[in-house]
Amino acid sequence: MNIIECKNISRSFGPKVALDNVSLSIPEGRIFGLLGPNGAGKTTLIRIINRITIPTAGEVLFKGRPITRDDVSRIGYLPEERGLYRKMKVGDQAMYLAQLKGMSTSDARAALVEWFTKFGIESWWDKKVEELSKGMAQKVQFITTVVHKPQLLILDEPFSGFDPVNAQLIREEILALKEAGATIVLSTHNMESVEELCDEIALINKSRLVITGPVDEIRRKEGNDNVEIVYTDADGRHTEVFPRQGTDGNLTLSDFISRGVTVNAYRELMPRMNDIFIKLVTGEENK
Amino acid sequence: MKLRNIGIVIRREYLNKVRKKSFLVTTFLVPVLMAALCIVPIVMMLNAKDKMKFIAVMDDSAVVMPTLQDSESACFVDLTGAPADSVKALLTDGTYDALMALSALDADNSLTFEIFSSQPLGLDLTENLTRKVNDAVENYRVGTYGIEGLDRILKDVKPDIRPKSYTIDEDGKENVSEEGVYTALSMILGLVIFMFITLFGGMVMSAVIEEKASRVVEVLISSVKATELMFGKIIGVALVALTQFFLWIVLTVSIVGAAATFIGEEKFAEITSAASSSAIADPSVTATIDQIAPASSDQSEAAVIISTISSLPYGKIILVFLVFFIFGYLLYASLYAAVGSAVESEGDASQLQLPLTVPLMLAYFIAIYAFNAPESSLVFWGSMIPFTSPIVMLARLPFGVETWELALSLGLLVVTCIAGAWASAKIYNVGILMFGKKSTFQDLWKWLKMK
Repeated sequence: MNIIECKNISRSFGPKVALDNVSLSIPEGRIFGLLGPNGAGKTTLIRIINRITIPTAGEVLFKGRPITRDDVSRIGYLPEERGLYRKMKVGDQAMYLAQLKGMSTSDARAALVEWFTKFGIESWWDKKVEELSKGMAQKVQFITTVVHKPQLLILDEPFSGFDPVNAQLIREEILALKEAGATIVLSTHNMESVEELCDEIALINKSRLVITGPVDEIRRKEGNDNVEIVYTDADGRHTEVFPRQGTDGNLTLSDFISRGVTVNAYRELMPRMNDIFIKLVTGEENK
Repeated sequence: MKLRNIGIVIRREYLNKVRKKSFLVTTFLVPVLMAALCIVPIVMMLNAKDKMKFIAVMDDSAVVMPTLQDSESACFVDLTGAPADSVKALLTDGTYDALMALSALDADNSLTFEIFSSQPLGLDLTENLTRKVNDAVENYRVGTYGIEGLDRILKDVKPDIRPKSYTIDEDGKENVSEEGVYTALSMILGLVIFMFITLFGGMVMSAVIEEKASRVVEVLISSVKATELMFGKIIGVALVALTQFFLWIVLTVSIVGAAATFIGEEKFAEITSAASSSAIADPSVTATIDQIAPASSDQSEAAVIISTISSLPYGKIILVFLVFFIFGYLLYASLYAAVGSAVESEGDASQLQLPLTVPLMLAYFIAIYAFNAPESSLVFWGSMIPFTSPIVMLARLPFGVETWELALSLGLLVVTCIAGAWASAKIYNVGILMFGKKSTFQDLWKWLKMK
C-alpha cells in the first residue's frame, strides 16, 4: 500500500519550471529518501504533498484517494527553512503548534511532557527560545513535528545543526517511529544516512525524476554487481572479486575453506550512494 | 477556512501582544496622562480661587479707595500717607501681596497708577485692578460735570453685545455651542483613529515579518492555511487594539473619578455649577464690579463649553468611531500584512510601505483642514474615498454629518476593505514563502495575478 502517490506532478512559477511530470510512490511504513541537488525541486514537491503549493498539473493521492486537508493534519513536516518564535516560551510554542495540528489542549500537554521527558529537556519548558542554542532549538523543533503522532513524517535535512551525539539520537527516533508504523520521507544531502536509514529513494534533478526504487536495487544496478571475498593465507591478506550473477556464495566459500585459507569476509560490492548521486547528477548534465 | 485554527492563531497573537511590557506601559501610562490633563486645570482653578490677596493701597487722589470693596479673593487695606519705603518693606516680608500707588489727580483729572509686588501678580488681577481704577476715575469725572443722571446716560449708550452660538439638532432643539469644543473633538478623533490605524497596522506588519524572519512560517503553513494565519493575526491585533482602547476609557474615567473624590466632590461640583449657573443668569448680575476672580465673560464661556460637551452625541460618536476604526483598520492591516509578507526585515519594508503611508498622511492633513472648513469639498471627498475616509470622517463627525453620507462612506469602505483583504491574501500566500530575494512592486503585482 502506498501512503502517497504523486501522479504526473508539474509546477511552474511563471516561466520557471520547478517540477516537470514527476510521478513517484511512497510505500507505507518505509523510510523514503528524497534526493537531489539544491534547486532540483525537492522543496516544491514536498510543499505540494503538504498542500502548501498547488500543482499546475497532476495530483497527489493519500492512501489511494485525492489528498485532503484532514490528511495533511496527519503529516508531520519539518521544513528546511525552519525556526521558532524567538520571544515565545518553549512550552507555549510547542503547545501552539500541537494545537494547530488538531490536538486538544490536554492531549497536547500530555504528549509534550512525555517527549520533553524522553529528551531530558523538561527544564526548558518555561525558557524563551532565544535562550536556547541552535541544537537545542532543533530538538524542540523535532518534537513539535512528531508530537501529534503523524502517519507520515516529512523531514527536510533533519540532521543539520545537530552534533553527532544528537544526530544519532534523532536517527534512533526516526527508526523508532518507523517501528511504530509511521512512514518517513527524508530529504537530505547526507548520503551516509540515506544508506543507513532509507528503504527506498527518489532522485530528482533539474525538475525531473531521475530514478526511484529500493535503495539496494539502485545500488546494485548502478554498481558493477560484484561480490568480494577477503581471506588470509600464508602470504598474508588477499581480496578476490567475482560477478554476483552466476556466483554461488556457498560453493565459493566452501571452495576457499577447503583450500585451507582463513575467510575474513564475504560481501556484496555495492557503490556508495554518494558516488551514485554524483554519477547520476553529473551524468545528466553531460547528456 | 477552519475556524478552530483561526481561533488558535488569534489567541496566541492576542496573549503574546497583551503580555508585552510595552503594551502594559502604554495601557497604564496614557490614562494617567489623560487624567492629568483633566484634573490639573481644575486643581489650578481651585487653587487660584482659594488664595486671598492682601493689597495695600496708597491713594493720594482719594478717588479710588472709597470704591474698592473687599471680596473673597482680595482684601484692600488703606495705607494712604504711610511712608512708601516702609510699605514696600511689608511686600517683601509677605504681609501684603501688592501695593497700589495712586498719585493725586492732576489738572486733566488723571493720575498715575503703579503696582508693586514681590511676585508677578498675574494678568487677571492686574487687569481687574486696572479696570477698577479706570472705573473710579471715570465716575469721578462724570461727577465733575454736575449733570443730573449723566452716569445713567453713559451706561445706556454703551453697548455690550456678544455672540452666542447655537446648534439646532434633529429635533429642532437649540443648544448653546462653542466652536472650540467641536474643533478640539474633531482634532482628537482624527488623531486617535490615525494613531490607532498606523500603530496597529504596523503591529500586524511586524508580526508577519517576525514570522518570516524567524522562519517559523513554513512550519505554521503546513498546519494552517496562509489566509487563516493572516486573518487570525489581523483579528488578534484588532482585539489588542480594542482592549487597549477600552482600558484607556475605563482607567481614565476611574482615575478622574478617584481624583474628584480626593479633591472633594463639593468643590468639584461648585466649580461646574458656578460656571453653568452664571450662564443662565443675566450677564449684568454676574458682572458685579467687585468680583475679582474669573471675569464674567470667562465664566459664561466655561458654561457654554460645559453645556456643549454635555450635549454631544456620545453614543453616536463612539459607535461611528468603532465602525470606522474596525473597517479602516482591516483595510490597512491586511495591506500591511501583504507588505510584511514580501520582506524579511523591517528595514526592507520602508519602500513597499510607502503606498500605505502616503494616503494615511494625506488623510491626516485633510483632517486638519476639516477643523477649519468642515463643509469644504476637499473634506467631503476625503471623507468618502475609502483610503482616507476613516480618518477624515471622524474629524468631520463633531461638526455634524448626514446619515446618508455616513452610510455611503461606510459602504465604500467595506467594499474596499473586502477587495483589499482578498488582494492582500493572494500576495501574502505567495510572499511568505519567498526567501532570499528582495521583493519589488512588480513582484507583488505578479503574485497578485498568480493562480
